[in-house]
Parts: sequence; C-alpha cells; structure tokens
Amino acid sequence: MNYFVPIRSVLSTVVYPIQTMAALPKDISDWVANYFQSQRQLKEKNTELEATNLLNSVRLQRLKALERENIRLRKLLGSSFRLRERVLVAELLTIDLDPSYQQVVIDKGQRYDVFVGQPVLDATGVMGQVTEVNPFSSRVVLLTDPSHAIPVQVNRNGLRSIATGWGLGESLQLENLPHNADVRIGDSLVTSGLGGRFPVGYPVGTVVSVNFPQGKAFAEIGVKPAAQLSTSREVLLVLPAKMVEISKKSPDTDTETETEAEAER
Amino acid sequence: MAENQKSHGGIIIFTIVFAMLLMLLPLPDSLRFFRPEWVLITLIYWAMAVPRLVGVGFAWVVGLLMDVMMGGAMGVLAFSYTLVIYLVLQFHLQLRQYPLWQQALSILSLVLLVDIVTVLVSPTMAGWHVWLPAVSSTVLWPVMYSLLRTVRRTFNVS
Repeated sequence: MNYFVPIRSVLSTVVYPIQTMAALPKDISDWVANYFQSQRQLKEKNTELEATNLLNSVRLQRLKALERENIRLRKLLGSSFRLRERVLVAELLTIDLDPSYQQVVIDKGQRYDVFVGQPVLDATGVMGQVTEVNPFSSRVVLLTDPSHAIPVQVNRNGLRSIATGWGLGESLQLENLPHNADVRIGDSLVTSGLGGRFPVGYPVGTVVSVNFPQGKAFAEIGVKPAAQLSTSREVLLVLPAKMVEISKKSPDTDTETETEAEAER
Repeated sequence: MAENQKSHGGIIIFTIVFAMLLMLLPLPDSLRFFRPEWVLITLIYWAMAVPRLVGVGFAWVVGLLMDVMMGGAMGVLAFSYTLVIYLVLQFHLQLRQYPLWQQALSILSLVLLVDIVTVLVSPTMAGWHVWLPAVSSTVLWPVMYSLLRTVRRTFNVS
C-alpha cells in the first residue's frame, strides 16, 4: 500500500523551493522587525528571560530530585524507568496549507533522521506527530486534525482515554468515556504513553467542557490543547529515549521495551 | 520557432508558480477562507486563451503538485483540475465570446466543481466556509483576466 510514498517524497522535494519561497515574506518581515528592535526592548526582554530562566532552573533542581526518587521507587516496584528524551529543534515554515487538514511543514527531514510517527512538542505541550518525511522537510499532523488521536490520561487520577481531533478551531474530544467517568472541567491531561508513539507525561491539554447527554452512551468531553498550535514557530522533535532495565520480572517492563523497539525501527 | 514556443511555456509556468506562492502565502485566520483559487483561475485563463499550449495533461501535473504542496490526498486536485480544464477546452470558443461578467459566472461553476470534489473526499465535516473560495475567485476573475491578458500580450503568447 505504500507504493506512492517515494513518488510523493520526490514531488514534495520538487515543491519544497516553492514552499520556502512562500515563507520568505514573513521571514523577512520578522528579520526586519528583529533588526530594528531598540536596545531598551532588548534589555527588557533579556531581564524577563533571565528571571524565567532562574525560576526554571530552580524548578529543575526539584525535578531532578523527584526523578531520582521516582527511579528508586520504581526499583522497589520492580519496573523499568524511561530516561529523559532527547530533542531536536525544528522550525515551522510559515505557509498556509489546505485548511481542511490540520498540518504544518517543518524544516528538518531525512538528513536529520526524522522518522514517521516521531512526536512533536512545543514549549507548552504536545503538538502532534510526523506523518511524512522528505529529504529537506517533513509534514507534521497536529492534534486537532480529524484523523489524529492521542492516548492520554487525566493527571489527577490516572484515568485513561483517547483524545481525537475535530478540525480547525475545535477542541479535542475524549472518546468512549462512560457517564460516570471522573473528569472535571480544569483537569489537565498528559500523554499516557500507551501505544508507544508519544513519551509519557507531556501535557496535552485541559478539559474545558464536560457534558453527559441523556440517551447517549458516552460523555462528551472537550479538551483545549496545551500547545500553541497556531502561534508556535519553533518545535521540538523527540528522539527515542534509552531504557534503563531494572528488572525483567514485571509485565510492565516487557510492554515498555517492546514499544521502545517499535519506536526505534 | 521552437525557441519561441519554449519561452511561451516559460511564462505560463512562471505565472502558475506565482499563483502557487499566493496559495501558500500565510494569511490571517479571518481572511484564510476567502483565499481565491489562484492556481485554478490562472490555469483556466491559459487553457481558454492558448488551448494549444495548456492541455489536460498539464492541468493534471499542476494538480498533482498542488496536492503534494497543500498536503491533501494525492490525486484529488489533479483529478478536479483535469476535469475543469477539459470542460474549458471543450467550451473555450464560447467562453472567449462571453462578456466578462458571464465569464465570471462560468468560473464560479468551475471552481464550485473543484470544491465539490474536494468536499467529497475531505475528512472533515465541511462547513459553509468551504464555498468561500469560489465566491472570491469569481469576484477576482475580471481583474485576473485583464492582468493575464496583459501578460499574454506583452510576451506574445499565442
């Protein structure tokens, strides 16, 4: 069924110059705006960034301690622990694609070992995954695309579900949750890591609406994506992490190793 | 003669590539749905004016490139552009005789044809906004027509 993948890859390479050219006006205007920034603005920005950096590094210290504690606890439980993922920074091409699909083009491709199914994050959450890799660029399908679904869990109680996209400007929907599901407005959702595509524990979104319609089998739960899907320029491509095998006894370990192998393929 | 023909092809391809750039150019969200089908109306103009140079095969290639560029399913625009250009080639003599507003109405029906094909294969529930490009293309047709006619006369494409 994949006969057309190479053809599409060649054609994508043919149109890539046109795509970069279409992104030029925005790039140039950004560059000009950047170039003519006043010193005062830069200073302000710098102070602001330094402050955030300080806050972040303080939080990171605590996170490191927590991570170590987590490894120790998991050791006690006899399950394995996934190391922190490494990331590759890519930039979006500022072009508009077909509005009936939710996708973007990024400027890293085969030459950077991008692969199909690779998770894509931005500074605030999960954006989507790579669907097509070409020599110089790749195509990323966003969480809001109608063909996209992502396994999630509620951060508060670990309830697992699947969030599917509903198209432009619509919120994500949690599928197949019964009427007695413990989900509230404001709950934050993180990736559950089931399915092996997305790493565990990255923010996906917050619940913005919960309805239990009479006469329907499942609840209707709307989720606002955490990532800035329409404004992010820089994105992070997650590289598969190395596993630390602590014990082979628990069934948990086996499944996680399997998904790892799948991700590396 | 051969060299002459080559330069003609060149200017047609140049306008098509320019139209592709206009299709990709980022627009604010409010204007995004009003984006005219630049490539399609450029193709229609050339098929109408110089059917000797722009045929069904050319439309298919442009459509295929558009599919890949816009990220849709491969073949959707290729098929619909081919269909439209076939119709234009059938009726190009009548189309040339029409007054501009009547031409614009023909363009409306042709762009709607492309939109219908796109909607039929689209994974999303189509909202009312999918029909907006047809309207903006129609409104824009007289401008595009005179512009491309100027281009054609300047470069003496026939």
